[in-house]
Amino acid sequence: MNMALDEVLVERVGSGERPPTLRVWGWSAPCVVLGRFQSVRNEVNEDAAARHGVEIVRRISGGGAMFIEPRGAITWSLYAPMSMTAGMTFAESYRFFDAWVVDALRELGIDAWYAPLNDITSAAGKIGGAAQARRGGAVLHHTTMAYDMNVPLMLEILRIGKEKMSDKGVTSADKRVAPLRQQTELPREVILQHMIEQFRQRFGIQEDSLVPSELAEAEKRAREKFGARDWTHYLP
Amino acid sequence: MGRRGEFKTPGGKLIAVEFDVANGELRGVVVTGDFFLYPEEALPLLTGALEGSPATLDEAGYATRIRTALEAGGELVGSSPEALAAAVVRALRAPVSPERTDD
Repeated sequence: MNMALDEVLVERVGSGERPPTLRVWGWSAPCVVLGRFQSVRNEVNEDAAARHGVEIVRRISGGGAMFIEPRGAITWSLYAPMSMTAGMTFAESYRFFDAWVVDALRELGIDAWYAPLNDITSAAGKIGGAAQARRGGAVLHHTTMAYDMNVPLMLEILRIGKEKMSDKGVTSADKRVAPLRQQTELPREVILQHMIEQFRQRFGIQEDSLVPSELAEAEKRAREKFGARDWTHYLP
Repeated sequence: MGRRGEFKTPGGKLIAVEFDVANGELRGVVVTGDFFLYPEEALPLLTGALEGSPATLDEAGYATRIRTALEAGGELVGSSPEALAAAVVRALRAPVSPERTDD
């Protein structure tokens, strides 16, 4: 459903039916989220996922696989008109769309910074990562930060290949993950509140909710597209 | 798939390619990875650049095909035509998986 909402809302912002939007959302069950171009069998141990009741979904944006548990992550999506990134390279736009988060974390005493291409990181390791999809004149920029992580379970579910682990001695894109809980005592909700406040100060915010047609369209696509094996397993 | 190769761009993303070699040509090409591609629908440009190409090209030869195909409307971010070409060459040089044989 969240994958479907991301697709529907970026289209609505692109068409002008919806203003730029920040959607903070959560997960009701553990899940593997695959990037658009990833191969299922290369990224996931499907037997382990089935055994643990972990669903496999695929998002519309590229990037890497994440294992997410309901209270273990902080996730949000930004839907913005492409005009906001005019004159920026992709790399610059990634940094631009998460700069407010880095500032919010730093204000909370977490020594975080942005590392190209798409990482929110710290001395302890990678906190989160972003992915972008662009369509119809709008950008979907969605990000996940690890708050708490069941590492043994993650290692059972996700395959971490040799090539990802090293490349000519340079440490890989699959960096050490450093969940926020390792770096702060603050509860997840407090961090989230502070982030939203930072966003309000920087960009301004109005409370909003999904309109019925958006929900209905997302439900339809969740059923017909994102829930279908044709989509999740189109790159098996 | 008979052949598989991967390449991780230092500081960037992983790109992987799988294919069979039939009659000296790459067939059934599949490209996967954690790179970004804009627009996302341009993935067939990558596979199309490689599908049916000779299995005897060098890295530069594959890279040129991929680069030319992307000019039709696609941009790789976090990876590159050269990275994909390197993955192809690795696939060609790697031992063939035992359950498949080439023509």
